[in-house]
Amino acid sequence: MSKKLLLVLCLLGLALGLVPAAAQDKVQIVWFIGLGTGGAPEQREMQEKVVAAFNAANPDIELVLNVAENTVARDTLSTLIAAGNAPDIIGPVGSDGANAFGGNWLDLQPLVEKTGYNLTQWNEAAVNFYRTPEGLIGLPLATFPSMLYYRPAMFDEAGLNYPPANYGDPYVMPDGTEVEWDVDTLREIAMILTVDANGNDATMPEFDPDNIVQWGFHFQWYGEGRQIPTLWGAESLWNPETGKAQMGEAWRTGYKWFYDGMWKDHFIPTAAAEQSDALGAGNPFNSGNLAMAQSHLWYTCCLEGSEWNAAALPSYQGKWNVRLHADTFRIFKGTKHPDESFRVLTYLVGEASLDLLSVYGGMPAREQDQDEFFRRLDEKYPQGVNWEVVKQGLNYSDNPSHEAWMPNYLKARDRISAFTTLLANTPGLDVDAEIDKFLADLQAIFDEVQ
Amino acid sequence: MAIQTRVISSTIASPWYLHQLGKFGASALLTLFALILVSAFLTPFAYSALTAIKDKEQITASARGSILPVDRVKFTYEGKEYDVVKVPFEDGVRELALFIKGRQESTFIDPADPTAEPIVWKGSWRTLEPVERLAPRWGNFAIAWQQVNFPRLIFNTLVIAVLGVIGTLLSCISVAYAFARFPIPGKRILFLILIGTIILPSQVTLVPTYTFFARIGWVGTWLPLIVPHFFANAYNVFLIRQYFLTLPRDLDEAAMIDGAGPFRILLSVIIPQSWPVIVAVALFHTVFAWNDYFMPLIYLLGKPELQPISVGIQVFNFQYGQQPHLIQATALMGLALPVLIFFMAQRVFMRGVVITGVEK
Amino acid sequence: MSLKRIQQIWGFIFLSPWIIGFLAFTLFPLAASLILSFTDYNLNRADEIHWLGFANYMKIFTDPLVGISLAATFKFALIALPLSIILPVGLAALLNAKQLKGKRILRTLFYMPYMVPVVSSVYIWQGMLNTETGWINRFLGLLGIAGPNWLNDIVWIYPALNIIGIWGIGNAFLITLAAMQGVPTELYEAATVDGAGPWGRFRNVTLPMISPVIFYNLVLSVIGLFRYFEIPYILSQGTGRPGNAQMFFNLHLYKTAFVFKEMGYGSALAWLLFAMAFIATLALFVSSRRWVYYASGDGF
Repeated sequence: MSKKLLLVLCLLGLALGLVPAAAQDKVQIVWFIGLGTGGAPEQREMQEKVVAAFNAANPDIELVLNVAENTVARDTLSTLIAAGNAPDIIGPVGSDGANAFGGNWLDLQPLVEKTGYNLTQWNEAAVNFYRTPEGLIGLPLATFPSMLYYRPAMFDEAGLNYPPANYGDPYVMPDGTEVEWDVDTLREIAMILTVDANGNDATMPEFDPDNIVQWGFHFQWYGEGRQIPTLWGAESLWNPETGKAQMGEAWRTGYKWFYDGMWKDHFIPTAAAEQSDALGAGNPFNSGNLAMAQSHLWYTCCLEGSEWNAAALPSYQGKWNVRLHADTFRIFKGTKHPDESFRVLTYLVGEASLDLLSVYGGMPAREQDQDEFFRRLDEKYPQGVNWEVVKQGLNYSDNPSHEAWMPNYLKARDRISAFTTLLANTPGLDVDAEIDKFLADLQAIFDEVQ
Repeated sequence: MAIQTRVISSTIASPWYLHQLGKFGASALLTLFALILVSAFLTPFAYSALTAIKDKEQITASARGSILPVDRVKFTYEGKEYDVVKVPFEDGVRELALFIKGRQESTFIDPADPTAEPIVWKGSWRTLEPVERLAPRWGNFAIAWQQVNFPRLIFNTLVIAVLGVIGTLLSCISVAYAFARFPIPGKRILFLILIGTIILPSQVTLVPTYTFFARIGWVGTWLPLIVPHFFANAYNVFLIRQYFLTLPRDLDEAAMIDGAGPFRILLSVIIPQSWPVIVAVALFHTVFAWNDYFMPLIYLLGKPELQPISVGIQVFNFQYGQQPHLIQATALMGLALPVLIFFMAQRVFMRGVVITGVEK
Repeated sequence: MSLKRIQQIWGFIFLSPWIIGFLAFTLFPLAASLILSFTDYNLNRADEIHWLGFANYMKIFTDPLVGISLAATFKFALIALPLSIILPVGLAALLNAKQLKGKRILRTLFYMPYMVPVVSSVYIWQGMLNTETGWINRFLGLLGIAGPNWLNDIVWIYPALNIIGIWGIGNAFLITLAAMQGVPTELYEAATVDGAGPWGRFRNVTLPMISPVIFYNLVLSVIGLFRYFEIPYILSQGTGRPGNAQMFFNLHLYKTAFVFKEMGYGSALAWLLFAMAFIATLALFVSSRRWVYYASGDGF
């Protein structure tokens, strides 16, 4: 490198990056993205547009985007908070992410009262979702019901009928008999939809479980693992009254169903299979080698192709329990500009919400916006997805939520994750014994703080 | 080089042709061995490069099938596309389009005669070998180029790296020289403290360090990524010191008798003997600056126009829909320049031999 | 002023960049982490800090993960440490051999993996090492061998991590090569005259002459083992799975400090790590007097 070029580089560098930005008279509000969705290129683009529009309309505020990649976002946010350099607005973030930073969220109630902000634009339950002992720590933005994603072509190939389009509809077996669409039926057809390289399915004696090319079902992205047994009912691993760690028969059954699905019946991919290129290195349904997946509406942010549809989730003992995610933006408790942050927040959950939700794949919490939201989704997925069943799912949403708070939340969550990983990686376990061990550990983790 | 070769070969007493033959054989054998080793070593690169020129469907297909980026040959029938597969019949294998997939039997259309009655074949279509053709997705590089502002990122990275290299070399050579050549009181303790600074994991120093830079207003600039390098780091000081200690003191002492001061000795005696290690340190710092991820991320959060390449190429690594082919394509593109720099820098390595060989 | 005094002053002048940098950038974070290790500082409750005295250090003795993570680190070190010393020397010797053709390109190729960003390289290795579809097991399958479940088995994970580690050997290799380049040629000439063959020259000239750099690699490998973090972190998505096989000491520390946000206890773990690595380093420095040869006559 010549000396001249070096000199030019240095001078440019000095001008560009070395000088701290001059002080501004505008109030700077920092919006931090990364705890949940929001990092995909088209999402970034939309977020930038939304910010530009806000800044154009509000000359006294400068809204600044901070996007951190998901895997490092929590560390980054922790560092910023600890250093007293925390962002003002954080999100989209779901309950689980918000619990991880519990105690850091601003109570919005005083600001709502001060500005006379209208909360009746949402139904009351949606607002109450964000009322906690710490106050009103969010405003409704998006709900993401879960649903059964499925690939019709794989059902055609196997000569099977599609899963029911409505909650309450029966499933029609190939011989025409109608049966209840429950977890047993799901297992039965998922095994038929699980096929090895020779074309044998998982119900056949000659089926080769080491050579599976197509899987029947998966709980796509089950997080730390409380997502898995939700089909069997709504439970909480922590009993708020007694302070005890607990697991009911329903969840035990669910975890055993999951375990047998991987290691005995082979219709659920194991951890190794899930990470393989055959299943998109961790994105199974998108890979086209998985027939059915339980996932949330947010998957529409990034699901590619149009050869899929949505159906009802199966019941257990005649009841449905459809897990629900709800994401929104939060204000950091220590913000120096609560009023301005609240203006930004109401803009994001208000005016800008439809634009943002169309890229986040989140169903608007404001009911009158929902038709427009699904119209935009139909443009993205022209195959005519059965969105009705997604809305129906809201009637059976899980309460208590599978993302519910527990004492010593982060450690408890970590222990759950270790339990789930064990199931997904290890053949030959006595699941009941493992659950008992897990609950004992969980109790110890709760007791650390109780 | 020439000198040393002549010296060594003249000492071996064997007929010249045998010697030449032996030399050739040894050379061929050694090179072959190195080639085998390097191919094994670089297999993962092949994986990366092949991933970079596939689309997602091809990556999935490669999991079981060919590792190359291949497309299934399709036949369009009534506006829809169908895979062409090799179907075995008693009279030989025919290439037919898989029209209706079924478990027991499937229906096929003959692309040569699509109007004819569809052909039914009994057996599992999954056992049929598809007809494929090579179809690399070179376009991935174009997509990566459009999504990632490479010129800007490379420029930023180069400025950070070049300034960092200058700082590292100036400070580390100076400090290593102090440790290697001067009778400083408490030198051992000081040196252990220096080594100690690299032991404590950055996880616990991160928050105080960030807080410090935030307080002095350096967050959002390149300063935290450059300025500390002007104050020496233990890795490079240790390395350069180790190298300096291998240099005999005779030349220093000769220069000192000639009246050279410590600066003069460093510049005209020590440094000319140390080019290999200096180049190595410069390379390490460049690579470090190229791949350093978390520090630039947190210090330049919200300043995409200042971010280096390590942060900028992460756009394809997001939740719910990673783009492995684009991750690999951007990683390979980001690698091009450092590899080139490394290749060039080796001239100096070669020169290092000649200087030490001839000067003495 | 005596000559020695003048030399001392010059020494401090050359040392000053580090001393200034240490006081300005390093001392404060070090001291802060030491102080925090005596508190219950929690990143989620930054405003309430209490002085705990030695409670965090006492907790180390009852924390089962301390033993588990040290065992994991030890199991990994058993293969990783010898490899990190032998391989760079072997590779540098090969790529420094006079008879070898195409040195420049070969050196570049061997160094190249070191330049790959870690995130991308872990992705590559997940593809290479997957039980079902990874290239390594597919290759073993061609030979009729059923490959192991590299990344999800509590035993095979260690060889797998070592394979990934070998890929990043570039740095150590290059340092060793630089040292070999610096060996004065007349020493080889003298050895040849004395009748030494290639092995004898390597054993009696190369090895002693590059021993300072082997020592450097050894010290950094030992410190690196204690700090080993990035690859298991990305590979296990921060969990340390399978089981706790990838729960290396530094990952335990990271989870404590950043995932559980217990920065106080995390700092105590960090200082424990510091103490262990420092003692190991010190022992290496003391031993170096016996086996490291410095041509300048100075050592530690």
